[in-house]
Amino acid sequence: MIELKGVNRLFGEGGAVKALADVSLLIGRGERVAVMGPSGSGKSTLLNLVCGLDEPTSGAILIDGINLAELNDDARTRLRREKIGMIFQTFNLLPTLTACENVALPLRLQGIGKGQAERRATAMLERVGLADRLAHRPDQLSGGERQRIAIARALIFDPPVLLADEPTGNLDSQTGDEILRLLDRLHDELNTTILLVTHNEDAALFCDRILRLRDGEVVREEHLRKAAR
Amino acid sequence: MITALGQVTLRQWGQHRLRTLLTILGIALGVSVFFAVRTANLTLLSSLTMTVEKLAGKATLQIVGDEGGFPEGVWDAVRDTPGVRVAQPVIEVLASTAFADEGNLLIVGVDMLGDRELREYQFDEQGSEIADPLIALAQPDSILVSRKFAERHGLGDGDKLPLYTSQGKKDFVIRGIIQPAGIGEIFDGQIAVMDVFNAQFVFGRGRNIDRIDLINEPDVDVRDLTTRLRAVLPAGVEVTPPSARGQGIEKAVSAMRIGMMIASFIALLVGVFIIFNTFNIAVNQRWKEIGILRAIGVERRNVQAMFLVESLLMGVIGSLVGIGLGYLLAIGAERLMSEVAAKIFSYVATQQPPVFRRDYALSSLAIGVISSLAGALLPARAASLLNPVLALHNVETRQRENVLGRGRMVCGLVLAIAGLLLVSFAPVRVGLDYQFVYPLLMILGLVLLLPRISELTARSLRPLMDRCFGSEGLLAVEAIIQSPRRTSATVGALMIGLSFVFSTSAYVGSYQQTVSDWMTRFINSDLIISASDMARSRSYHFSEDLSAKLAALPGVRRIENVRFLFMPYADDSIAVVTFEMDGWFARVRNALEDADEDEVRPRLIAGEGVIISRNLANRYGLKVGDKLRLAAPTAPFEMPILAVLTDYTSEKGSVFFDRALYKRYWNDAAVDLIDVNLVDPARTGETKQAIQKLLRGEHRAFIYTNAEYKRWVLQLIDGFFLINYMQTVVAIIIAALGIVNTLIISVAERKRELGVLRAIGGLRTQIRRMILLEAAVIAVIGVLSGVIAGTMNTWFLIRTAASMIGGFTIPFRFPWLLALLALPLTLLISLAAAWWPARKAVNLNVVEAIGYE
Repeated sequence: MIELKGVNRLFGEGGAVKALADVSLLIGRGERVAVMGPSGSGKSTLLNLVCGLDEPTSGAILIDGINLAELNDDARTRLRREKIGMIFQTFNLLPTLTACENVALPLRLQGIGKGQAERRATAMLERVGLADRLAHRPDQLSGGERQRIAIARALIFDPPVLLADEPTGNLDSQTGDEILRLLDRLHDELNTTILLVTHNEDAALFCDRILRLRDGEVVREEHLRKAAR
Repeated sequence: MITALGQVTLRQWGQHRLRTLLTILGIALGVSVFFAVRTANLTLLSSLTMTVEKLAGKATLQIVGDEGGFPEGVWDAVRDTPGVRVAQPVIEVLASTAFADEGNLLIVGVDMLGDRELREYQFDEQGSEIADPLIALAQPDSILVSRKFAERHGLGDGDKLPLYTSQGKKDFVIRGIIQPAGIGEIFDGQIAVMDVFNAQFVFGRGRNIDRIDLINEPDVDVRDLTTRLRAVLPAGVEVTPPSARGQGIEKAVSAMRIGMMIASFIALLVGVFIIFNTFNIAVNQRWKEIGILRAIGVERRNVQAMFLVESLLMGVIGSLVGIGLGYLLAIGAERLMSEVAAKIFSYVATQQPPVFRRDYALSSLAIGVISSLAGALLPARAASLLNPVLALHNVETRQRENVLGRGRMVCGLVLAIAGLLLVSFAPVRVGLDYQFVYPLLMILGLVLLLPRISELTARSLRPLMDRCFGSEGLLAVEAIIQSPRRTSATVGALMIGLSFVFSTSAYVGSYQQTVSDWMTRFINSDLIISASDMARSRSYHFSEDLSAKLAALPGVRRIENVRFLFMPYADDSIAVVTFEMDGWFARVRNALEDADEDEVRPRLIAGEGVIISRNLANRYGLKVGDKLRLAAPTAPFEMPILAVLTDYTSEKGSVFFDRALYKRYWNDAAVDLIDVNLVDPARTGETKQAIQKLLRGEHRAFIYTNAEYKRWVLQLIDGFFLINYMQTVVAIIIAALGIVNTLIISVAERKRELGVLRAIGGLRTQIRRMILLEAAVIAVIGVLSGVIAGTMNTWFLIRTAASMIGGFTIPFRFPWLLALLALPLTLLISLAAAWWPARKAVNLNVVEAIGYE
């Protein structure tokens, strides 16, 4: 589902900072992979490259067999819209929109009518347990509720790939567990490929595989047995 | 500490260069208009006064009458007064040469024998046998011209100069070239000198002269001499120092100056809104920074001081740029004002570079800085009151903007209604200074209501925007609903700019419509022949001989001779219009007010009384039955007011009476306008051609059909308001800068939101559409509030300002066309202004934006 072939990402003048160095990776459909590492190890860069927000200095990234390098910005945006859902540590909901409008937004950006988009958003919010929060704005909700809305928004297209950047980073441990359980359930229902960036060992245990990054390189790869989780 | 904070704040300038530049530009433009108008005003007055003083030469006193002049016999009386060393008669005429494309030529008639004692003449070397060219003026066809004029036309000694005179076209012989010094540099060299008695003859002055310039004996006090002279001068003839005449001119052009000063304040007010907006947003954007500063021990007052010092710096830089820009603008403004002064008030000015006055520069600097500080005051206070815990928190937990409070709304409503009530019901003559507070109250009230107006309009547009433009429309309108403070500051700038455009246009439109209706009733002759292409000429007139020739043309039923001049009245002047009353009554019916027309008509025709204009009656509290006194040179003119007339001839007020009566008292048979009434009005074109043929090469005359004359008068009105229009354009430019600023700030403030939109699949085109739609909604709210404020302001202009400045009653006409055009035009301006911010939004680095806090 996600394939990285010898990906390098350099920053700074003359490529002085090596954020990712020769990373190759293959993640199959429905697989859950956690990316761990200290700050500055290249986790977020990896995520940004996979979702097409950033471009590698060299190497290739394929999503569902499509080479991102062959797409222009608009095509990459459309691919992101249809095949990749994203959730963030800081939720990144639009504060001016209600929960329902936030979730419906990707559909509406694709030109789907308001009525249909909001019906689907309502159904999605029911799935994440927020049927009673449809008309609430983000600032009227708790952190856990906000992250659920973010998850609902990310999955509204039923994308094959879900990228999660520290989804429990801003939550207390109990709410964080709830979010992980929700992701687990949705994964079982939708068979979504999940790439999870985290500092949290407990969150990483929710995955099938852990990639440990240091200084832009994959230094270790651990396969977890279901029992370990 | 302030130095350290200054460093923090200046770093922001570097990071937000465009925003800083736009804000400084906003102040600069506001200050530039303010400075330019004051400088142009001063330059114009100085040019007018300089012309008067240079023409006066070394004269310490001048004897002046009204525009018709006074009998030359006065000269003898003045000369014989003890204490007068030199006294010389003068005639001034603004005439035309018969050269193609030549403007007006100022002709000064002087006495060839004695004028050297008064004025400086330097002549080019010449081959003439007569050593002093002034002596050469003894020959009746002689004229002296400035070197500049001579060079422009390739003229030299002995060449002919054709001039249009009241006697028709005459050729004069150049008998001296005046060097560009003293009298030779007046009126940009458009000057010629001839013998005073010759001028008297060819320009139809009869036995009148315009002025006597005199020098007192060295041992005689000017004040004592003034008293002595007053005792020998007839009524209507005054003795005054040359400098005082400049003040008279200042008074004459005061209506133009007041109008422009109002406009320049408006431009400045719009600038204040830009500052307010910028600092408001800066505080919002630097929320976290302020929290950190507070957390590390910066006191509230220092946070406030940091923003105020920043605004002070911006104010200083903007004002200095504005003063420089204003100086350049003043050149153009002064030229325009000179044209208006010449066309409408008939005053000629000698062009000169703008006068740079240090006190004007300092006051402009002070106003710019105060405006800047005033704009930044509330945001700076808000910054100082910020809760550091909240400020350090995530951006999404910001406090909702507290600008929609009930107290604020009530206060806004009370102020707006109070202003409106004062404009509608307060007495008209309280004093302009106080009355300008009324529209300010209305505007201030509206400003306080703006956040609510913005929010309500945006909310009511939400479903429509959602339906028509989908998620982009929804997000655009939500950005406004959620930021009423940011939006309302821009809308405020737009509102003031638009309200000014709207009210100026509405006022000018109402005024023009009123004048047009008035002209239809009163100026209904088939052809009108004017001696000048200005509203009137103070010095060049037709003679009655010309009228007699025109009357003899086939198809002409009746000729009316009109004399139109200004005379001193009370401490000002009024327009005096005299014509053949019987002819006037033949074509104008039911015009008189406060009188039985059938009863007073024969008395007016017989010259037993006068008609006064409604604005004159209002201005001086005159009514039918009162006596109107004017200073006439032959005998005291004291006539009963027989009727009142609604009239728009002059903002100073007008008086009308029979021409024969005027000639009797003023001994003046000059003609300014000739009304031609035809047997068959359908043959107007044919008769116009016949008149042109008759006058061609003989007389300089401007022949208008009735429709052409009306059009020309309306154009003059447009010309009068031209500078106001230009200032409104500047106000709109400043408002457009405000839109750019707001949207740039909006983009910066919503960086993360835009980043998220891109991350979840928003295309660049969709982001651009969203920003453009936000600009469109701001334009809609701006137009709505601008039309409300503009209507209120028009009401003020019509009810109070027109009445105060001109004593006119102008019916209010709502400019529907303008109101309808305002929306598409403002939308266009807004969308143009949004182009750059939209580009910025589209090119946002999504990765950075998402991580942005």
